[in-house]
Amino acid sequence: MEPMASMANIIKLREFRTFLFLILLFIIVGFMNPDYLSLQNIDKSLKSSLMYMVLAVGMTFVLLTGNLDISVGGTLGLTAAVCGTILRDGGSIFTAVIAAILIGAGIGLINGFGVIKLKISSFIMTLALLSITRVIQVMYTNGKWVENIPAHVKRLSNFEILGINVLTVIVILAVILVQVFLSKSSKGRYYNAIGDNVDGAVSLGIPVKRYIAYSFVISGICAALAGFIFVSQIGFVSTNAGVGMELTVIAACVLGGVSLSGGIGTVVGAALGAIILTSINSALVYMKVPAFWNDTISGSLLIIIVVMDALLAFNANKKAKKLRLNARVLQKEAQD
Amino acid sequence: MLKKIPKWNLVLFVIIVLEILVFGMMNPRFWNTSILLNSFNDFVPIAIIGFFLTLVVITGGIDISGVSIIGLSSVVTGLLSQTAGLNIWAAVVCAVLTGGLCGLLNGVLIAYARVQAMVITLGGMLLYSGIAIVLVGLSGVSTYEGFTGFPESFGQMANGEILGLPNAVIIFFILFLIAYILLHRTRFGRYLYLTGINQNTAEYAGINTKRVMMTAYVLSGLSAGVAGVVLTSYLGSARSDYGAEYLMPILTVVVLGGTLITGGKGGVVGTALASILLGFMQIGLQMAGVATQYIGLATGVLLIVSVAFLGINPDFRLNVKRIITHKQNGG
Repeated sequence: MEPMASMANIIKLREFRTFLFLILLFIIVGFMNPDYLSLQNIDKSLKSSLMYMVLAVGMTFVLLTGNLDISVGGTLGLTAAVCGTILRDGGSIFTAVIAAILIGAGIGLINGFGVIKLKISSFIMTLALLSITRVIQVMYTNGKWVENIPAHVKRLSNFEILGINVLTVIVILAVILVQVFLSKSSKGRYYNAIGDNVDGAVSLGIPVKRYIAYSFVISGICAALAGFIFVSQIGFVSTNAGVGMELTVIAACVLGGVSLSGGIGTVVGAALGAIILTSINSALVYMKVPAFWNDTISGSLLIIIVVMDALLAFNANKKAKKLRLNARVLQKEAQD
Repeated sequence: MLKKIPKWNLVLFVIIVLEILVFGMMNPRFWNTSILLNSFNDFVPIAIIGFFLTLVVITGGIDISGVSIIGLSSVVTGLLSQTAGLNIWAAVVCAVLTGGLCGLLNGVLIAYARVQAMVITLGGMLLYSGIAIVLVGLSGVSTYEGFTGFPESFGQMANGEILGLPNAVIIFFILFLIAYILLHRTRFGRYLYLTGINQNTAEYAGINTKRVMMTAYVLSGLSAGVAGVVLTSYLGSARSDYGAEYLMPILTVVVLGGTLITGGKGGVVGTALASILLGFMQIGLQMAGVATQYIGLATGVLLIVSVAFLGINPDFRLNVKRIITHKQNGG
């Protein structure tokens, strides 16, 4: 009985449905073009989604608390430019990563300050910071591309053991670790609690403001790390590196079942959403569909899944209400 | 009479006057009325969407898909008139209606399926710009140049002038008036506020809040369609990526105009003043020799400062307002 029950629970999970969708996507496209199912392509799909997965992890923290971080694209662009410049001028990888993390954390702190102290809605605050970081990036690079990244940096993202990309494994392990932290440790559950019910979280003695600030800092650091991955994978930084990524990442999180009103969602789901969105890109290539269909398909997919989720939640709510009402009636009858 | 004007709008007005003075001192060409009036061309699409986004924000929603509807409406205009050979004005009507249709989809899903406005309009943003890209891709026009070769009369719509007033200014005021009357002079406008203040209460009061919300999104979509047509007429070509950078300025004019992002409070007069303020600032900074790519910094800082100022410590705000209005009365 016990394993059956846990099995049923897993099937009910939103992440499981996302995962099923991902498998279905691969099977359908693989049916049309068997090359799509080759290990090489799966490896490639995963590799190109790494940046988005890292961004999605950070974004999930912010979304869980019921806020939004639009600035990640700007943070990614700026840190990629800084990392690229440091590496190009002969700096070590360690210095570059530390610099990136410091910048990301700094931007996260500013976001947190605006949201908590100035009481600006997170959407507005991070949108403003997005445009500010973009300008700073242009100022820093003088509007030029950062090129000539040393080869050993580029090799970092292609480093393989037994044919498996090490960076991919590291990111996937990190996603799982973060998930364990979020769902098992009490500190991790604070993020869910804050988004679910702020007043309740305050009454429980959770330092709500501090944890909201943490979430922005985590998102900033994740964006900075994604910026480093950008440099390593792409090998140059153009002035519009990261443009529009923030919206793709939010879309990925929503696809993976993270609610924008907070309190619901997992990092694993968000990462799966990121893989789906990038896999659609390559799926179109393998199905010989022109690439300009990309946004239309991602957009309609997002809308369909979100509306389905909302209808499911609405029905579940209705059912729960009915159950509660019935129970109350029964209770009353028993009292009489 | 003076008491009836919300004080925040007065602040905005004073800032615009200060702007004209300061920028004019930096570069006297700024005081040239025709340059100032012609600068409306650069921000009229932002203002148009801003007016009707204000209605959406007042109901407590948000619509970020407008920036993509601009491109879609522009491409539809080009496709129907240049490739399908339709009369240009019929194509314009179709383009505006396309915007309305996009807004209708947003509105139905947000009001009736109860999905968060942010999520739906984010999906809509991807979808509508995607459709625009697909239309360009299928029609075989170069993505970079877009549809060109519009008739002279269509170009006149945004570039011409009537009685010395550039058409852009006239378009600005016509759409402002429509939004103003809808919001401040009709029952529908009151319903928008009520829905934003408390949707449940409004529902109990017998207001069909779902239809009110849906209508707001349709209007926002229509306005984005109009903005796309105006931009196409101004620039003389139709491209799918028009408006892609407008998200930030559109939200800035709405928020800077004093509309509460959580809904229930605000007005289009503020939005109009804020869009003029922002537009003049861009022109002024350009004339003062600031490179175009740095202007985002000013916009971003302005956005943060204005929201912080509107949101933080009401007493402090009141004092500042009192000082400013006192000055007004004294001068």
